[in-house]
Amino acid sequence: MNLGIRAILYSARKWKKTLLVFCLLLAITTLVLSGLAIADAQEEQAEEVRGTTGASFTVERNLSTGGWASGNGGSYSTQEFISEEMLQEISSIDGVAGYDAALVSMPYYYTQSGESIITEDVNNSFYTYGCLNSEYNELFVSGRFELVEGSHITEDVPNGLILSRERVEKNGLKLGDKVSGINDPYADDPEVEMELVGIFDIVADKDDEATMYDAATLWDYTDYAFCSFHAMKEMAVNYEDGNKLTEAHFFVEDAAQLDNVIAEVQNISSINWDNFIITANDEVYQNISNALSDTNTLITTLIVVITVVSMVLIILILSMSIRSRKRETGILLAVGIAKPAVILQYVLETLLIAVVAFPLAYLSSKQVAGTLGTLFGKAAENVIVTPEHFMLVAVVGGILLVAAVLVSSISTMRLKPKQILSQME
Amino acid sequence: MSIMEIKQVGYSYDNKKKVLKDVNAEMEQGKLYAILGPSGCGKTTLLSLIGGLDSPGSGQIYFDGQDIAKTGLSDHRKNHVSFIFQAYNLIDYLTPAENVSLTSKLPPLPILERLGLTKEEAKRNVLKLSGGQQQRVAIARALASEAPVILADEPTGNLDEDTAQDITEILKESAHKMNKCVVVVTHSNELAKQADVVFRLKKGELQVLERVQDGAAQPQSRRNNTPRSERRAK
Repeated sequence: MNLGIRAILYSARKWKKTLLVFCLLLAITTLVLSGLAIADAQEEQAEEVRGTTGASFTVERNLSTGGWASGNGGSYSTQEFISEEMLQEISSIDGVAGYDAALVSMPYYYTQSGESIITEDVNNSFYTYGCLNSEYNELFVSGRFELVEGSHITEDVPNGLILSRERVEKNGLKLGDKVSGINDPYADDPEVEMELVGIFDIVADKDDEATMYDAATLWDYTDYAFCSFHAMKEMAVNYEDGNKLTEAHFFVEDAAQLDNVIAEVQNISSINWDNFIITANDEVYQNISNALSDTNTLITTLIVVITVVSMVLIILILSMSIRSRKRETGILLAVGIAKPAVILQYVLETLLIAVVAFPLAYLSSKQVAGTLGTLFGKAAENVIVTPEHFMLVAVVGGILLVAAVLVSSISTMRLKPKQILSQME
Repeated sequence: MSIMEIKQVGYSYDNKKKVLKDVNAEMEQGKLYAILGPSGCGKTTLLSLIGGLDSPGSGQIYFDGQDIAKTGLSDHRKNHVSFIFQAYNLIDYLTPAENVSLTSKLPPLPILERLGLTKEEAKRNVLKLSGGQQQRVAIARALASEAPVILADEPTGNLDEDTAQDITEILKESAHKMNKCVVVVTHSNELAKQADVVFRLKKGELQVLERVQDGAAQPQSRRNNTPRSERRAK
C-alpha cells in the first residue's frame, strides 16, 4: 500500500482530526487573505492620496545670484531664464509625473466672424496661461477646475485653447471652433489663430480677495483661459521678457518620493544650480503622511500577528497530532517503511486538507474581506482579494505547512523504531 | 544453512546497564526458535537487534552472510524480516485487509481466511476484532510480507490458552511448511516445548538449551553455541 493511499485513508477515516485542521486552515487562510486585501486597499488608498496631494517642486530663477540692469523705467534681473532643454531634462527623471510652465497674459479672443468673445468683465480680456501641459496647471491639479469636454493642452498641441463652459455657452462656441487671440488689440500685436480643444467646469468658488498686487485675483474664474505655450509666445512676441520662462512646476507620481526626485534633479550637471532655486511643495502630504503611516503600520502588524499566531497554532496542533501517532510511526518503521516515506505521508495528509481549504478560503475571504475592511475605514468594494493574493498564500502557506509537519516530526523521527515502540508500551 | 547470524553482539542502555554481552547465535530457515529468559533480561532487545529496529553497541548481525548495518536497517526491515508484536501493533485506521497490504502486494483475503478471519471481519475496523483475531491479523501481515524471517515478541502473551495454541500452530506451520525462520521471544514453556531450538538468555548471555523428553530444557555443550562464521574460520 503506497503512502498516497494511506494518506487518503487516514484523512477520510480520522475525519474529526481532519475536520479540525481543515477548519483551522480555512479560518487562518481567510483571515490572512482578507488581511492582504485590506493591506493592498490601504496601500492603494495611500498611493492615491500621495498621487492626488499634488506634491510638486518648483524650479525658479534665483534672482539673488543674478545681476541687475535698468531700463523701461525700472530695474530688472539679468538672471538666466528656464530653457526648454532644462524642462526636458528635469521631466525625464524617474518619478516625475508631469510638469507645467506657463507664460501669463491677458489677451482678447475673437470668433471667426471677428466678434469679440464676451467675458463677465466689460473689457473682454481673459486671464490666460500659455501652458506646456495644462493638465498640470495648479488650478486643475488642485481640483478647482475640471476638464469636462475635449482634451488638455500638451506640448504636441501648438495652438490649442481651453475656455470655461460659461464662456463657451454664452458665445455659442463648440469644440473644434477656430478662435483668434490678440495680446493687445490696441497695439501692433499679431493675431494668432487657435482651436478650441477643451472646456472646463469650475468646481470650487474663487475665495481669494481681489487685490491690485496679484492680477489673477481680478478676473472671474469664468474668464480664465488656457492656451498653448507656442501660441502665447507668438501673441507676446513684441514683449522681450514676456515670452521667457521664469518658473516651472514639476509634479511627482508619489509624494513620498519627492525628496528623492529633487535630489536626482539637483544632480543634473548640465544645469547651473547657482542660478536656480528648487522648492518642495508637499505641505498637504506632510500633514497626512503620519496618519497614513500609522494605519499602514497597524494593518501590517495585524497581518503579521495573525499569521504568526496562526502558524504557531497550526504547528502545535500538527505537533500534537503527530505525537499522538507515535505508535503508528513506530509500526510503519518496523514493517520496513522508510522514514522519508512516513514523513511524506504526514505532509501529504496536511496538503490534502490544504488543497480543499485554500480555494474555499479564497471564496470565503471574498465575502469576509469587505466586512473586515470597513473596520479599518475602507469601502467594502475597494477591498478585493485577488488571484495574486491567493497564489501568494497558497505557495507560502504550503511551504509553511510542510515546514510545520517537518518540525513536528523531528522529535519522533530522531528515535529508532525500538525506542518509539518501547515508549508506547 | 543459517540465514541469520549473530556475532559477538553487545548492547547496553544509555552506555550503563549492559543487557547483552557477547551474544552469538545462528538461525536457519525451516525452524522455530524460542528465546526464553526472565523479564528484563534483554529478550525483546535481542529480537529488536535481529530485526533491525535498533543497532547493537558492539558486534554484528548478518542476514544471508551480509552485515545488516551495512546493507541498511530500513532495507533489512522491509525485505528480510517481519514482526509479530505482543501488543499486535496494527494501524488503527486501516482494516485487517489493509494492514496486511502494508507489507505485501499479494491479495490479503486468502491469507486472512487461512488464519481464520471471514471476509466481513477482514473489512471491519481492526479495533473491533478480538485480541486473538488482531494477533491473527498481525501474523497474516508478517506472513504476507514474504520475508524469510519472522520475529515474534510474546505473540501469545495476551491470549487465552486455546487461541495461544492456535497461534503456536500457525507459527510452527510457518516454519516447517513455509520454510520461514521463526524466532519467538516467550515466557511460555508450552510454546518453547514446541520449538525446534530453545535459547535461554541469562545475565546477557545466550545459551542453547537441549530439548528433553518431558519438555524441560537443559544447556547444550558450549561447542554448539559457537557461531558458524567462527567455526569456518577455525
